Amino acid sequence: MKFQTTDPAANPSAIFYKCCTVDLRNGEMKFADVPCRNLEDVLGGFGRSFQDLAKRKIENAYCDQNPLIVNTGLLTGSSAMTGMRTYFSGYSPIKGSKVGLPAAMWSAGSGKFGAKFKWTGLDELVFENRSEQPIYVVIKETETGPQVELKSAEHLLGLSTHEKIMALQEKYDNAHFAAIGRAGENWQNNYMGAVALSTENQLKSKEDKFRFAGRGGMGSLMGYKNILALVAQSSDKISKVSEAVKKVNINVIKGGGSARIQPLSRGGGGGTWAAYEVLQEFHAVPVNNFRPQGNAIPEKLFRENVEKEYDIKSESCFRCGITCHNNISEKNADGSKGEFLAKFDYEPLNLLSTNIGIHDAGQAARLIQLGDNYGMDAISLGVTISYALSYNERHPEAPILNGATFGDYEKIRELVIQTGEGELPEIGRGSMRLSESLDETSYAYHVKGLEIAAYQPETNPGYVWAIAGGHISMGTYGLLTREGKSDLESWVKGITEDKLHIVGFDMIGLCKFFDITKGIGTQMVVDCLKSEFDLEVSAEDIRAAVRRAFLRGLALELRQGYSKAEFSLPAEVSENPNRNIKLPNITSPEFFEKLQKRVWEIFEPELEDQ
Amino acid sequence: MKINVKLIGLFRTGRFKQEDRQYPNGPKVRDIIDVLQLPQQHFGIVLVNGVHAGTDTVLSEGDHLVLLPIVDGG
Repeated sequence: MKFQTTDPAANPSAIFYKCCTVDLRNGEMKFADVPCRNLEDVLGGFGRSFQDLAKRKIENAYCDQNPLIVNTGLLTGSSAMTGMRTYFSGYSPIKGSKVGLPAAMWSAGSGKFGAKFKWTGLDELVFENRSEQPIYVVIKETETGPQVELKSAEHLLGLSTHEKIMALQEKYDNAHFAAIGRAGENWQNNYMGAVALSTENQLKSKEDKFRFAGRGGMGSLMGYKNILALVAQSSDKISKVSEAVKKVNINVIKGGGSARIQPLSRGGGGGTWAAYEVLQEFHAVPVNNFRPQGNAIPEKLFRENVEKEYDIKSESCFRCGITCHNNISEKNADGSKGEFLAKFDYEPLNLLSTNIGIHDAGQAARLIQLGDNYGMDAISLGVTISYALSYNERHPEAPILNGATFGDYEKIRELVIQTGEGELPEIGRGSMRLSESLDETSYAYHVKGLEIAAYQPETNPGYVWAIAGGHISMGTYGLLTREGKSDLESWVKGITEDKLHIVGFDMIGLCKFFDITKGIGTQMVVDCLKSEFDLEVSAEDIRAAVRRAFLRGLALELRQGYSKAEFSLPAEVSENPNRNIKLPNITSPEFFEKLQKRVWEIFEPELEDQ
Repeated sequence: MKINVKLIGLFRTGRFKQEDRQYPNGPKVRDIIDVLQLPQQHFGIVLVNGVHAGTDTVLSEGDHLVLLPIVDGG
């Protein structure tokens, strides 16, 4: 980025981001220092990419006109803690409206790739068209600025995400990697391909400990473009942490933002996995395709039960003090750590275990590991499989696929493998398409074509207005369980004011655990921007930019053909209310109708400006 | 008076899971949190007889109190 102003809100065009546009059809590249249109452009991530996507009318995600935009946020690669995010944006193969148009989508991931990418001197890479041959792309720092090279990737074809990263590591020093797996290579039949991002831990240990930009099939779009991997090669540009940023970082670690995510050994909450125990108190842990049974079955995957048989180690991303990863390994007979299996985060753990009837931690870990190595979004994969298992439970006389049922580990494992290999488009193309083909849509747990995260929809009608899936783009998932809010006013305010601000993290380059409850319109972020770039920007200006970016995403959904009726929860939620969930009912048709009316009354006038 | 107290997640570490405990008459939820020395930064949810409540809620004989840490997913 180049800064010719200290006032990014008033004078954004005096700030430039370095963009390289690559035409994959002929290898032509154009570098440009692009003036920012607004504060959203300055902040980066989807705040910038969605403005560019909005300029294109895309009718099919797999078309040459659909770009893949790889970018970072303003604080990616900075000394602000968690500043490691990379964003992948494009029109999604999996998320789409009923009229058949793809939705604009972004996906974010940590690991060290984002920082390395930023340190090459590039802020954004736009891939146009598609390559005839499989390639990987090297972005590297040179004395004359960032350079981009396209390389043949024939030797990487067929390798897992981890194998690709390991193969590239042998060739490139001082680099980090973003790679798709076989799922992304099989983009025709797999719309849920993810992008794996390498971590320091992975490169040092050679274990498959990566991070993912999982949602929305950005790995499948990358596969369509025939890009198997990206390499970001640069020196580490770690500047001395200023006193101002040091204060912020201490606040991130010790303040309210991340305390609950810290390891138990440091007095923290033990990562997102701890949500299991809290949600179980309400019988709101998803079980067997989002139908909690009011029993103790989810407790089998409580940490206290898992650690009896498995080794659990808390680890972190590069230079992050939050240490949110709970890495699960086999435990040897002598009690020492054995083979690494997988990382237990709440979402992938639940959706590839309890919600598909698997209650054995080892089996759950193996399924997570398998999905990660194929490079599939654990949420879309788990939820689409749980739909198929639910169908088979309802139709024992005529089951689909391999006849798998809840808890049948071997058959479920077979489904994961076949999906990753591109042999099972029924699963690979997501739950919306599968349920429509079977004409049983009520228990397909997606919203607007994208599978929901592991929070019961009964607890989160806010899913409906999430612009990039589940909980990551609408932070209302705790409004009922955590805050006990069941009145209409609280939900209208939550959706239209406070909780949409979670998307700000997907602009600026920070992880949500930086300050998940407050978003990025805070003094902490203001202080970081002043210290890192000498920018004078107010928290109010940042909040306004985040709101504009969110509304732009909502407007883009409507432009892509979503009707108001598609802004709805899975029908089963209201048609067959689950009495086992011990929380007030806020998803009755009457409540939801009122909520829709009020929310649109607030959003719609603002959408006209987008 | 007797209050049935249930702790969830990390609050159990070094304490208990669930038990009947005696308190002076009319304690507030906050008083019980203080006695148990629960870490403030993790404090998230209070349920009294299955209903969300605040730390100022005054408890009655035989109440069932559940104290939960805050939840965040990802």
